[in-house]
Amino acid sequence: MLPVRKLTLSSAVIYLFLILGALVVLYPFFYMVMNSFKFGPEILHAPTRLPSQITLSGYVGVFEKLNMLLLYKNSLIIAVSITFLNALLSALAAYAIAKIPFPGRDQLFAFMLATMMIPGVLFLIPTYVVMYRLGWVGQFHALIIPAAVSVYNIFLIRQFIIGIPNELIEAARLDGAGDLLIFFRMILPLSRPVLVAVAILSFIGSWNDFIGPLLYLNTPDKWTVQLGLYQFQTSIPGENIQEIWASMTLITLPLVVIYFALQDQFVKAFANVSFK
Amino acid sequence: MSNAVMQASHAGAEINKLQRFKARARQYIWGYLFVAPWVLLYIAFGLYPLILSFYLTFFDYSFVRPDDYIFVGVGNWIRGVTDPLFWKGLVNIFYNQSIFITLNLGIGLLTAVMLYKTVYLGRIFRTIYFMPVVTSVVVLMAIGNFIASPQGPLQSMLMEAGILKTGIFWKFSSWLPMPIIAVINAWKWFGVSTVILLAGLYSIDTTYYEAASIDGGTGPQQFYYITLPQLRPQIFFILVLNVINGLQMFTEVFTLGYDVFGGPSNQAITPVLYLYAQAFDRSNIGYASTLGLLLALVIALLTIIQFRLIPSE
Repeated sequence: MLPVRKLTLSSAVIYLFLILGALVVLYPFFYMVMNSFKFGPEILHAPTRLPSQITLSGYVGVFEKLNMLLLYKNSLIIAVSITFLNALLSALAAYAIAKIPFPGRDQLFAFMLATMMIPGVLFLIPTYVVMYRLGWVGQFHALIIPAAVSVYNIFLIRQFIIGIPNELIEAARLDGAGDLLIFFRMILPLSRPVLVAVAILSFIGSWNDFIGPLLYLNTPDKWTVQLGLYQFQTSIPGENIQEIWASMTLITLPLVVIYFALQDQFVKAFANVSFK
Repeated sequence: MSNAVMQASHAGAEINKLQRFKARARQYIWGYLFVAPWVLLYIAFGLYPLILSFYLTFFDYSFVRPDDYIFVGVGNWIRGVTDPLFWKGLVNIFYNQSIFITLNLGIGLLTAVMLYKTVYLGRIFRTIYFMPVVTSVVVLMAIGNFIASPQGPLQSMLMEAGILKTGIFWKFSSWLPMPIIAVINAWKWFGVSTVILLAGLYSIDTTYYEAASIDGGTGPQQFYYITLPQLRPQIFFILVLNVINGLQMFTEVFTLGYDVFGGPSNQAITPVLYLYAQAFDRSNIGYASTLGLLLALVIALLTIIQFRLIPSE
């Protein structure tokens, strides 16, 4: 017998609280977008009031002064490269670990899981030294190559591939298909849901990354959106205030669009975390 | 059956076995090839840096003179353990995290229970609560900074209500930055806790509640004796995750515009900010490596304590 759920007084109170929570969550976004359409003096002197006059000058300024298109391009190059490589290489490793019983597989997988426990801060300095010696500092691939495959994604994809029946794979083998063919023709298409989740996590992680670009991309022509915004904020305090709000809105926009388009996969990608 | 036939069939079985072995070996080679990218990249950007990091802790090393390694023994370790700024960073982080984790778990639990009890619109609320999770730390800290500033909506509201006399420049206060960053972070991250706890709530067998209702258990009693214990794995997971990530906080304080030592009274210094300062401001690479290892030890210690204190099954 399921508990009967009715619209009672207590559920009205619950909805009231939920709406209140939603307003608290949404207000800062509203505040950001609202201020991005104001003139500079109004942002400084009446930041909480609605714009008395709507202007796009902040948005125009962003493209003129901050070179927003270049920042977008740099961020996209890095994020798309990482997303593509990571989904592909993590899926390859996940397939091998899920379905090919090569000697040493279980030990390798146990080792992989153990590496997840190592806090990232340990790698910060020595990886920089390695990049410095390789002469990669200042280049995109200093960010892309180390992020080209990740244990966490291998783990997520493996959990999914394990559920694909072995009979399917054996049947393909009997028909003469090799592992490469099986991977591209069968495993990849079947794993679409988990690959979307992995791709979302990689893309958002890379797009929002700050410390990586801060360490490795030290010339303005290589800056990403996050680093560009930071530099823009700190370079001339008080000035360019219109452009700051406009650029924050523009940086957040692509993510919000992707998020709303793929929200179920997105929440699942995060919630998967709890089921391990 | 003649001897010759038996020998022939035996030889056939041998050939069969050999073929099967070859087929399996071919498959294994693909297996090794498929995991090779991870193995190679982890050796280059995981294992090697880890060994290098440990090695560097015994040297005075700087990018200013990249070919000189000056051996200092355990000097960096002693300096790290006795460095007041490293400890100040740890104290700040504990101060920050105790508030953040309380808020994060509290709000997460509250919203998860409320969403569990609603029939309609749950998905819309979940979507909204998850929005800050998707947004970058740089953007959210900038917005949070403006909203909490003396000209921002919060303080002006409090001033109009007469609660505040003058604006508070909290970034320069010696004790306010950490709690305010904790509140901004709780606002950013509680959506993850909500989703994890909500999944936990849905996995609880409803017959527990029915049995408790029959025995006359009240709502709060049911929450305390059924819901909370049943959610233990999820709560434990959130705690471990928060401690590991929280201790490595950097971008939050860095983008607020403090100097690399976290302001005049180091009110916003964190261990990773201090490590950054030593490495990239002072170019003390060996010492920064030591600080990284010390912090990793603290994190490992806390994680072990958590595993001991909270049996998660």
